[in-house]
Amino acid sequence: MKITWNWLLEYVDVSDLTPQEVAQKMTNAGIPVEHMQRLVEGVDQVVVGEVVAVTAHPSADRLRVCTVDVGGNEHLTIVCGAQNVQAGQRVPVALVGATLPGMKIGKSTLRGVISEGMICSVAELGLDPHVFPKEQTTGIFVLPKDAPIGQDINRYLGLDDLVMELELTPNRSDCLSLRGVAYEVAALFERTVHMPMPILQTPTIAPKPLAVQVVTEKCTGYAGQVVDDLELGPSPMWMQMRLVAVGMRPINNLVDITNYVMFEWGQPLHAFDYQAIHEQQIVVRQAQAGEQLITLDGQLRTLSAEMTVIADPMRALGLAGVMGGENSEVTANTTSVVLESALFDPLQTRRTGRVLQLRSEAGLRFEKGLDASVVTAALARAADLMVQYAGGRIASAPVVTGAALQKPTGTKVAVRPARVWQLLGFHIPLDEMLNVCARLQFPAKIEEDRLVIDVPLRRPDIKIEEDMIEEFARLIGYDRIPATMIEGPLTAGKLTKDQHLRRVLSDHLISVGLQEVVTYTFISREDLNRIRVSSEDGWSQSIELLHPLSDEHHILRTTLLPSLLEVAKMNVNRRQLDLRLFELGRVYLPKQLPLTEQPEERLLLAGLLMGRRNPEHPFRSVRTFDFYDAKGLVESVLGRIGAVSKVTFERSTAPFFHPGQSADMYLEGMLCGRVGRLHFNVESAYDLADAFYFEVDVQILAHVAQDELYVAELPRFPGVLRDLALVVDRDLPVANLLQTVREVAGEDLVTISVFDVYTGKGIDAGHKSVALRLFFRSLSRTLTDEEMETTINRVLAHVNSVHGAVLRE
Amino acid sequence: MIWGDSVKERLLKLQMQALAALEEVQGLEELEAWRVGYLGKKGELSSVLRAMGTLDATERPLVGQIANDVRINLEQAHKKQKEALQMVALQKREAQEKIDITLPGRMQWLGAAHPLHKVIRRIEDIFLGFGFTIAEGPEVELDYYNFEALNLPKDHPARDMQDTFYITEEILMRTHTSPVQARTLQARYPELPIRIIVPGRVYRRDDDDATHSHAFMQIEGLVVDRGVRMSDLKGMLLEFAREMFGQNQEIRLRPSFFPFTEPSAELDILCIYCGGSGCRTCKHTGFIEILGCGMVHPNVLEMQGYDARELSGFAFGMGVERIAMLMYRVEDIRQFYQNDVRLLEQFSTLAR
Ligand SMILES: [Zn+2]
Repeated sequence: MKITWNWLLEYVDVSDLTPQEVAQKMTNAGIPVEHMQRLVEGVDQVVVGEVVAVTAHPSADRLRVCTVDVGGNEHLTIVCGAQNVQAGQRVPVALVGATLPGMKIGKSTLRGVISEGMICSVAELGLDPHVFPKEQTTGIFVLPKDAPIGQDINRYLGLDDLVMELELTPNRSDCLSLRGVAYEVAALFERTVHMPMPILQTPTIAPKPLAVQVVTEKCTGYAGQVVDDLELGPSPMWMQMRLVAVGMRPINNLVDITNYVMFEWGQPLHAFDYQAIHEQQIVVRQAQAGEQLITLDGQLRTLSAEMTVIADPMRALGLAGVMGGENSEVTANTTSVVLESALFDPLQTRRTGRVLQLRSEAGLRFEKGLDASVVTAALARAADLMVQYAGGRIASAPVVTGAALQKPTGTKVAVRPARVWQLLGFHIPLDEMLNVCARLQFPAKIEEDRLVIDVPLRRPDIKIEEDMIEEFARLIGYDRIPATMIEGPLTAGKLTKDQHLRRVLSDHLISVGLQEVVTYTFISREDLNRIRVSSEDGWSQSIELLHPLSDEHHILRTTLLPSLLEVAKMNVNRRQLDLRLFELGRVYLPKQLPLTEQPEERLLLAGLLMGRRNPEHPFRSVRTFDFYDAKGLVESVLGRIGAVSKVTFERSTAPFFHPGQSADMYLEGMLCGRVGRLHFNVESAYDLADAFYFEVDVQILAHVAQDELYVAELPRFPGVLRDLALVVDRDLPVANLLQTVREVAGEDLVTISVFDVYTGKGIDAGHKSVALRLFFRSLSRTLTDEEMETTINRVLAHVNSVHGAVLRE
Repeated sequence: MIWGDSVKERLLKLQMQALAALEEVQGLEELEAWRVGYLGKKGELSSVLRAMGTLDATERPLVGQIANDVRINLEQAHKKQKEALQMVALQKREAQEKIDITLPGRMQWLGAAHPLHKVIRRIEDIFLGFGFTIAEGPEVELDYYNFEALNLPKDHPARDMQDTFYITEEILMRTHTSPVQARTLQARYPELPIRIIVPGRVYRRDDDDATHSHAFMQIEGLVVDRGVRMSDLKGMLLEFAREMFGQNQEIRLRPSFFPFTEPSAELDILCIYCGGSGCRTCKHTGFIEILGCGMVHPNVLEMQGYDARELSGFAFGMGVERIAMLMYRVEDIRQFYQNDVRLLEQFSTLAR
């Protein structure tokens, strides 16, 4: 919402204060003045002049030599290139020595003729030519005939007026008018508001008939009046300039007056061509479904029963509160109009505007709800202005109908002073509260232990006690609120088990050198294609947004892989080739599609590794990541929470993995994650190579995470190591061999480690040698060589019978 | 006597001779030869002592004493020399083992938390200290919790403030973390006090640019109890601002509007760029806005069954990205989601 300083001063006198002081206080009171600047900066020594005579330039066809009266003793000679310059026009004249935005005017000689200044166009004065009617902006700026010769153009056009842009919160629709802002400023500085006091007039001669029939409950009040004998033309310059300053385009005097009054009172108005109204009867009704109307912008609109129209007995004339119809538009031939000032249902107006994609200043105000107490005042004001500035004559009695216009009254709000003090945390004397009410011009009285306040209709945002408490705090100043600390019982600040686990997991990965990333949760189907997810895979069951912003972000992710791949790709493009990324992020798994209930949001810990395993160093051979690094990292995560021994790995069939180098992880039979090298085609799709991915389901980990520990007794007897190199079938998973060993190794076996896997010379083709290191220890005695001999023989016999394993020669 | 004197002389002469030889010894092998030569079973000292048997019994103790002294002297000299030689040998080895200590150490990669999570954890920890717990909720939310339970009925104009990604008519991407307020009030009823902090991702249908993102993170707080005051809100946020932005921070509350609080306010802190003297960033006001807050709207409490005439509460909420941009001077919000490791790795050096 824009206003101007001088316009505001008409309704509330704060001329003893600087605009900055007023803006500061408004900002601190919750009506932030976002910008404040002159309508046009840098115009100096430009005055209104009259073109007395125009003659041809002796040596240039396109130039004219003008004699211009600027109110001095002597007329000026000014060479002008504009085609529209004519004797008798009043125009802005930049005198010698004048400044205009971006230029300085000196005495100049144009093709042999001395020019003592310049006649200015709209653009040269720093104004936007697009907001003015065409006839004023092609060539020089032709001012009205009554523009006073010699007057400074800044004053005449109000170029030096300050435009203040207010950033209103949605509740303060009262400040969508000068009147509302004036009341606010008056309350802040303890001033009074002076609004024009228009009175509805009834004509004594030649009345014209007008009937209004409201047959929809979506219109709660309607006031109409006929104004006749109108002369369509430009509105007065000051009015045009004010409209320009607040962002409206001047059109003609009738339209400008309705807009001006809307800004002044906050009440949108509309003018229908009286001639277009059949039987001089206005009918306010719901549209019929499918009914058509060409709106003022020339568009054919198909209406629905959820829209209100202004109609005559034959046809619709306009969309209530949204836009007028072409069939009743004010045109150059219009001499008589029906002025409309009405209340339409805010929600419906809003929906209609949305459906038809029509947003307007009027619509904005209807949507927020209007002040029923000014509907007729605004009508009277507009009629007055039409009499004054458009040669009009009030030609009918005002027709006022609708329940909302019968004695409109505001809300009563009861305030308990004790509650004010309790809620704000400091004491405000009752007198001070009453004073705030007086400043707001809210009648208030004390009834028993409470304050009863009559909130006028212009402040519909104040409905309950808390709203008034905010008004007290706002006008007294939020600075008066002290800083205290909450009272009441002490409570323990603590993390839940899950929250703690998340911190442990991410801290662990960070400590082993991974970089945390945060990525968007919206991805695309194309991303899923790129990671080779097909329609049969669970990952394809994704939730789709109704109105996505782009094709790249239209579904909710079911895996973190595409997000991490995007990050990797972007970094590789920027020559960052060593990547160790992880994200702790949610995936969204629908229980059914289309969605009928909220999906499951599962937290995954996912990571991507590529490039060098360690930073380089002259005395370390640095290799790139491989599967076992990735698996080891996942095992370290599991180890960190005491779950590593509970997890088993099985070959994975996930489509995005290399089938030979990937594993699914199971925890107590539940699939809890996966790790592996990415499929070649997935890597290619992202221009990557040798990338490893892992993900684990944090919720499942939470079930098994160890959160208690009782230490094991330290052993009192020495342990025994035995190494075995076993030759087995090349395809035998080592995990199976270990399992077989464990079956018969007895309870004294503490650990088995694999320290070598060998194929090649000395080993038959199709076989491999697996070197195991078994560590035995008893809690009760020292193990003897004889015992160990027996155990090892038992192991060898068993692995031989199960796997055909033999001791390597 | 002459005989005895002669043994004594021989002993002293031997000692002198041995000590002189020891001076000449080079290396541990020669030292061992010296030891065997003088102190060994067949060494010189032993052979002198064998002659003692021939001495008169009265002379024996005196000569024995001298012989013993000589042995001790020689042994001590041997020990000292051995240590010296060992030290020389060690120093030689050490000299050979000398390396260039200016070469860098063999480092492991350093990881780092993402800046947004760093900020969230810092804020969480501040409020954990105040006795808050951390509450969370779904990102795919019901219209009821995201809007209606927060005093934003269908068609409320303020819904425009938060253009929403809908999935169905009733299911949407939450536009703020505030639905967790309603969920917590509902779940805990009628237990008091409620003191929670709610971090999480939120979504708005905004085109991405330097200051807007269609997805971002919020963190908000809620306190509900008997007798909660707006001054408590101010006091707590002052502490918070000082913890986050320095102990000299000052705060300012300005009236504002949120459908779920009344009275409502925006919180400004002293501009972190100019310290309050005014600069371009703070539009010469000396303050910058960091969060929205207010007293919980009675409708929000009443919808979950609480008596809003008697209870009260406050709530505040902030954009994590905005805080992170201010703290770390990040210019473009999209950088948080782009994850250029050259930016992220800088956080591995941040010790808090
Ligand atoms: Zn500043």
